[in-house]
Amino acid sequence: MICLQRLGAIGVMGIIFVSAGAEIGRLPADQLAKAVRSDSISIPTPGELFAALEKPGKTNWSGQYRGPMSMTYRDRAQIALNLGGLIADGFIAVEAKDSQQVKNIGSDIIKLSKALGVSENLLSRGNSINEFAEHDEWDTLQEELEATQNEVKSSMQSHSDQDLVILVSLGGWVRGTQVVSAAILQNYDERSAKVLRQPALVSLIQSKVGEISPELRSDPLVKNVSEQLAGIGKLVSFPIGKAPSVDEVRKVNEAIGKVMEEIENKAIAK
Amino acid sequence: MKRRLSIFLAVFVLAANICVRAQTNTEVEARKAALDLAGAFTNDGFKIRDGHWCGTIKPHDHALIAVNLYAGNQYWFSAGATEQAKKIAVRVYDESGKQVTTEGYNAGEKAAAGFSPTNSGQYFVSVDLVEGQEGSFCLVYSYK
Repeated sequence: MICLQRLGAIGVMGIIFVSAGAEIGRLPADQLAKAVRSDSISIPTPGELFAALEKPGKTNWSGQYRGPMSMTYRDRAQIALNLGGLIADGFIAVEAKDSQQVKNIGSDIIKLSKALGVSENLLSRGNSINEFAEHDEWDTLQEELEATQNEVKSSMQSHSDQDLVILVSLGGWVRGTQVVSAAILQNYDERSAKVLRQPALVSLIQSKVGEISPELRSDPLVKNVSEQLAGIGKLVSFPIGKAPSVDEVRKVNEAIGKVMEEIENKAIAK
Repeated sequence: MKRRLSIFLAVFVLAANICVRAQTNTEVEARKAALDLAGAFTNDGFKIRDGHWCGTIKPHDHALIAVNLYAGNQYWFSAGATEQAKKIAVRVYDESGKQVTTEGYNAGEKAAAGFSPTNSGQYFVSVDLVEGQEGSFCLVYSYK
């Protein structure tokens, strides 16, 4: 039950209630199909995923770090995918409350963004990230990372790089899922494992990737990643209420790890 | 004649710009109302997601958006609308379209629904115009 102790701050005019059984209704399938699906609301941030993983018990966040990332990618699609992954790394460092790691990642985010030509306003974000990290302001840092990701995306939109936006989200989701599945394998708990059930999210990402320009879709890396999403979609389609087994989590981790390797691999992009 | 036409065009373009700006302003107003409401939940440790969804709702109609949520997290969906909307409501549905039992908050043109999903996956959030005239609305959400 959500704690509402401090909701009085809203004011006395409001009434808090629990919706009664009589009000419970149902929406027909055609209305559900027409629902809006937007990048800014329908695709969760890595921070949301990590918050859910953290609930049943402590997670070894620093154990999920990876080595330094190449900053010399040339392919724009590959840079966008890696930028998404790097932002997810930033969320991991915030969860680990590791200020030096946050600063390193913040600096890498600016470098990769520069390679895409979207860094003009990001320099101040980089400075803020450093400042918040130095003062251990972890909640603010998480907000700053999310704001940085959104600023990168809006900058892409204003530079007619709309197609790269979904690749940033995709890169973040791949890295987030890799980390979460690895953490679950290290310390299996049914409640944690339930966060991996996301068939509609994979399907949404697939459909958004399907909307990008044919030229970008034919990029070898985008094509490869896109093809593997279908298989991953099946792996994360667990029945409602059933937590995936250790074996099922391992399969997700292996499949997503393969995608992550390709995203990081300098040889695969054109 | 040409001068009259150009004056007419200039007035038309100006009017069109004002209309577009006015529409944007109402969405900004609705977003502010939604953020005001969501701000109250931050006292309880909820983080406001840096994203929003704005649009227009008609009387006795609803606007619907898909969200992907994680079991274990707690969520509040907060909506604000412009003054013409006398009363709005926020409802949450699961992936099959069945309405989910939520805690709620209603105060005229502001409303919120909160719940903790037991299953990860897709949910749908509707913003309904219960009373009042067509107007702009904005939805934000918070989680912890």
